[in-house]
Amino acid sequence: MKNSQILVCISRVLFPFVLVFGFYVIVNGHLTPGGGFQGGAILATAILITYFIIPERINIIDGLVRLEKHLFLWIIVVGSLSLITKGTFFTNPLPIPAAISFKRIFLVLLNFLIGSKVAIGLVAIFSSFIEEGRS
Amino acid sequence: MIKKITLIGMLIFMLFVFSSNISWLEDNIDTTTKDYYIENSLYETGSRNIVTGIYLDYRLFDSIFETSLLLITVSGITFMYKKDDPTL
Repeated sequence: MKNSQILVCISRVLFPFVLVFGFYVIVNGHLTPGGGFQGGAILATAILITYFIIPERINIIDGLVRLEKHLFLWIIVVGSLSLITKGTFFTNPLPIPAAISFKRIFLVLLNFLIGSKVAIGLVAIFSSFIEEGRS
Repeated sequence: MIKKITLIGMLIFMLFVFSSNISWLEDNIDTTTKDYYIENSLYETGSRNIVTGIYLDYRLFDSIFETSLLLITVSGITFMYKKDDPTL
């Protein structure tokens, strides 16, 4: 895979900004438009930019899929926390009259887990495509 | 030629049906759910973005299966990518 020098240079400039914007969209998912899925897609784009910078990227697809499985289990565990406190599945574990800033911890945590899971999944998909096209 | 004329006629008919239905819907729309979410979403979920309040609190069950969908997709694509691997 050959790249032009201009593309590599612009990718190096763009990479940290896209990364920070992805984290911003994930962490502010409960305040502004966006959320886990959209921010995860932006993060995956940021990681895919590194394929322009270093075309001889190492292949770590097995670890990515394993990490995504663990993150999915953690999402189920965090979503089921309300079974202990409230007695019902899949809702906020804190009671409704609790303070809003405490209830936001749950939203930020789940948004972060979903965002990392989506980013890792999309990176695994595109990595396998790139490896298949290279061989 | 006949095919194109038939297609255009069908499209005009569908446009007429949709527009007449939409003008009928404007009078009979039910806003109970929307009003409930707009009034109680910030108090009940702590989220100022109503969409996040819905998909992380009211409908978290759906979100979990949506993430499992992506996991199954990634597993399938990885399996097809590794199919020629002799270790499998």
